[in-house]
Amino acid sequence: MPQRYDAILIGGGHNALVAAAYLARAGRRVVVLERRPLVGGAAVTEEIFPGFKFSVFSYVVSLLRPEIIRDLELPRHGLQILPLESTVVPLDNGDHLGLWSDPDQSRRELARHSPLDAEAAPLFGRLMHHMAMAVKPILAMVPPDPTSLAPSDLRGMLRFAGHFRSLGAERFHALHKLMTMASADYLDEWFELDCLKATKAASGIIGTFLGPRSPGSAYVLLHHYMGEIDGAFRAWGFQKGGTGAISEAIASAARAAGAEIRTEAPVERVLVRNGRATGVALGSGEELAAPVVVSGLDPRRTFLELVDRALLPEDVVTAIERFKFRGSSGKVNLALSELPNFSCLPGPGPHLRGAISISPSVDYLERAYDDAKYGEFSREPYMDVAIPSMIDPGMAPPGKHVLSAFVQYAPYQLNGGWSDARREAFGDAVVNTLARYAPNLPGAIIGRQVITPVDIERITGLSEGNIFQGELALSQLFFLRPLPAWASYRTPIRGYWQCGAGTHPGGGIMGASGRLAALEILKGSRA
Amino acid sequence: MTPRYDGIVIGGGVNGLVAATVLARAGRKILLLERRDGIGGQVRSTEFAPGFKSAALTGDAGWLPSGVVRAVRLAVPELVLPEATLAVRADEREWLVLSRDLGRSAETIRRYSARDAQAWAGFCTRLAKHAGFLAALYQLPPPDIDAARPGELLPLLGLAWKLRGLGRRDMVELLRTVPLAVQELLDDEFESEPLKAAIAASAIRELRQGPRSGGTAFGLLHSQVGAAPGAIRGSGYWKAGPDALAAALAAAARTSGVEIRAGAEVAAVLAREDRVTGVALAHGEEIQSPVVLSSLDPARTLLGLVDPVWLDPEFLLAVRNIKFRGSVVKVSYALDALPDFAGLPGGSTDLTGTLSLSGSLLELERAADAAKYGRISERPHVEVQLPSLRWPDLAPSGKHVLVAHAQWAPFRLRNGSWDAETREALGDRISQTIEQAAPGFGALVREREVLTPADLAQRYGLTEGALNHGEMGLDQILFMRPVAGAARYAMPLSGLYLCGAGAHPGYGSSGGPGWLAAKRVLSDV
Repeated sequence: MPQRYDAILIGGGHNALVAAAYLARAGRRVVVLERRPLVGGAAVTEEIFPGFKFSVFSYVVSLLRPEIIRDLELPRHGLQILPLESTVVPLDNGDHLGLWSDPDQSRRELARHSPLDAEAAPLFGRLMHHMAMAVKPILAMVPPDPTSLAPSDLRGMLRFAGHFRSLGAERFHALHKLMTMASADYLDEWFELDCLKATKAASGIIGTFLGPRSPGSAYVLLHHYMGEIDGAFRAWGFQKGGTGAISEAIASAARAAGAEIRTEAPVERVLVRNGRATGVALGSGEELAAPVVVSGLDPRRTFLELVDRALLPEDVVTAIERFKFRGSSGKVNLALSELPNFSCLPGPGPHLRGAISISPSVDYLERAYDDAKYGEFSREPYMDVAIPSMIDPGMAPPGKHVLSAFVQYAPYQLNGGWSDARREAFGDAVVNTLARYAPNLPGAIIGRQVITPVDIERITGLSEGNIFQGELALSQLFFLRPLPAWASYRTPIRGYWQCGAGTHPGGGIMGASGRLAALEILKGSRA
Repeated sequence: MTPRYDGIVIGGGVNGLVAATVLARAGRKILLLERRDGIGGQVRSTEFAPGFKSAALTGDAGWLPSGVVRAVRLAVPELVLPEATLAVRADEREWLVLSRDLGRSAETIRRYSARDAQAWAGFCTRLAKHAGFLAALYQLPPPDIDAARPGELLPLLGLAWKLRGLGRRDMVELLRTVPLAVQELLDDEFESEPLKAAIAASAIRELRQGPRSGGTAFGLLHSQVGAAPGAIRGSGYWKAGPDALAAALAAAARTSGVEIRAGAEVAAVLAREDRVTGVALAHGEEIQSPVVLSSLDPARTLLGLVDPVWLDPEFLLAVRNIKFRGSVVKVSYALDALPDFAGLPGGSTDLTGTLSLSGSLLELERAADAAKYGRISERPHVEVQLPSLRWPDLAPSGKHVLVAHAQWAPFRLRNGSWDAETREALGDRISQTIEQAAPGFGALVREREVLTPADLAQRYGLTEGALNHGEMGLDQILFMRPVAGAARYAMPLSGLYLCGAGAHPGYGSSGGPGWLAAKRVLSDV
């Protein structure tokens, strides 16, 4: 007799853990099945070199929904976010641009480069805040099916349309621009300082296969403005102990509510009988039974690998086959014997406690994109660099440091394919680019971990290494995420659900997909 | 003093003529002012070398909405619909020729891919359905979020109904398609490069973006509005000559009582107490009228003709932020004989359509890269037409005219400026590209005229040389055209209306903006 549960969650990423916690809190008997020895998916902390711990993939947090933090009492389970206080951009002329958490300091710094931009920045910040507020209620909405005439979907569409109407014309139009424009064009309307535009535009390209001059990138910019820590918008931070500790905190909350979490338990397939999910079969041959099976994996794996595609309507299969992943990001994790010494701000200083953005100009980012567009990694990539050991000394042995560089672009489809040699060449491009700004860096490297999209796919299972479980493009958002009619966390197979970032509202350590899916499941089983 | 006119229309292009005619037909006394010595704007031929005339800038006839025809009681000139609409140069020896006939195109496509041939009819039908929805959208004032009047909600509901009427599959497909890059759309459908390049070239015409940019799939739908299924670039041409439409519109205008003055350049729109009072001409004359409609582009109209004291600074900023970014070059060649495009099947019959010389998406994308950095493409994307095959009297007997449309050459060059040297160097590059497709072409060239974005700006009065009066991107259409909050033809200066392609439904709809703007004037005044 297979073991019976009320719900089985496939994959131990943060969304599945959130869903498990919500289901368990509602009294359901749930089990989470994770393939790897540790939970967290792309939010894991691992000791890659002895004594050096890394947030291997996802490294900063800000999008985690406050209601989840509250509902699951995550601080009690170890959630502790240490704010990132600055972003410093080293420039090619030896100068730098610093954006600090103190608004007055930022203003003075901006005024040093451009008095006009110093005036515009607070206005821009306010607009983005309003836009993020305008989008926020949508993040908490279950997408309706626009093609359906069912009363619940019509109500959903009216609520959706009503929300836009309630914004008023001015904000609606501003939102429309953000949804359709290129981030560089959008920023051109506000600022004159190229390095400022580049640094802001950079958040519009993260995780996408778009350049800053590609329409559609402005939305990702907004997506990253939606972050909040303790209700304060735009704050980014590190989790103490790395992003893995966030996953641990959620897992701990789930366990406390009664959820069972099994690692090294890869799911082979979802069992389906008479068009209904009945359980899962593990790689070991073991079978578990449950009337509700929830996949936290990405849409490709959820629809095309865990179940027999013959069980799905043909148009669903086509739509999922067309769903765009196209991973474009890499990561380089360095163990350092000493702090990098940036020529623009020599010696140790507060800038090392924040983010260092390698984004000297919009052209620089665009050229980096052009390389990737034609199937090469960027010779001079965009990087978001952080030194977590500066804020959280436990990440490295005393006196030593860990540096994390999020890198774009590294296309999943590399000309000739990724190999060990190509991976190291990519790592060299990253280190050489950084060395231009911090010449002591190459000599300080004790250990180097280079992660390409192919590695992300191999280790975490994310298709094509896309960090958002599918691009955050306009054609893949809201009721189109992952596909129309099945954006409400359901699938065409009864009892089989999805809860990963490939569903609305999507990527980042946000947890919203997991929460909304759990609430839908609970609603369904009550009826 | 009582004004002699109920309304003044600035600019004698298609939209100006249509707006003036619609108003005159409603009994208004209308004066139309055109800066150049003849009317027609972009749809007018010009003699560029002794005895040689080039066709209209738009090339083909384009889409003439039925609503416009009815509103101006237009005697629509006879249209010729060539069988072969678009030929793309696949490689040194071969051309892929797309025809009006779906089956015939499929046969040609089969040489490259059986799968694509199979998919062709379905793709074209779907494209036509989607374009049909746009055509409906384009014959209504732009829908807006705060459309409050019940009279406006009704057509919107009709539109929603029409969207649903597409059926579930097509509706979803339309929603998904609009924001896509045309390359993404085509990669999902087809595998043959020349076919994809042929279709993509239609999507990125007049845009600064290449086929990998988001929103260019909308460009494709837009280009197909009014076309029969499968007729890529198949709007045909006016049998009587390149000026036939302008002549027919001018005749309709005169019949309706519009007074037309050519050679009359408007220097300013006059206003008093937040109201338009008339216009001042360049030579000083002032003409009174409570209503002024401008078919010039929004920047020329609002930044060039109106004293900024009458407009809100925020509004002016929004106008300054309109993306024009003209990056198209037009070259007219006077030829001693018909060039021989190597390998083109069917001989000259295929030459009455359009020839696209870029055989792959990669070539298009690479050509587009330069413009992002303010440079001219090293290997520009070139399309050619031979208007003298359509209308033999454009050239002396036995001689020919070839018109090249090339991208990308940005109006704003990062380094240097549009001087004669830059212009002719670009002309040489374009000539070389044509030479590769038609060996011996260079020897046939008797004269050529290169119109860079800077030249287009000057000759046609187009901001940044943008033929479209502002890019037709997703952020600049519908209620965002020309700028958010002023998309319904009435500008924030009472009595001033925008009736050119800078207003909804924009470039590519002959007379659509003029017609809808005139309707707005009639409902206001």
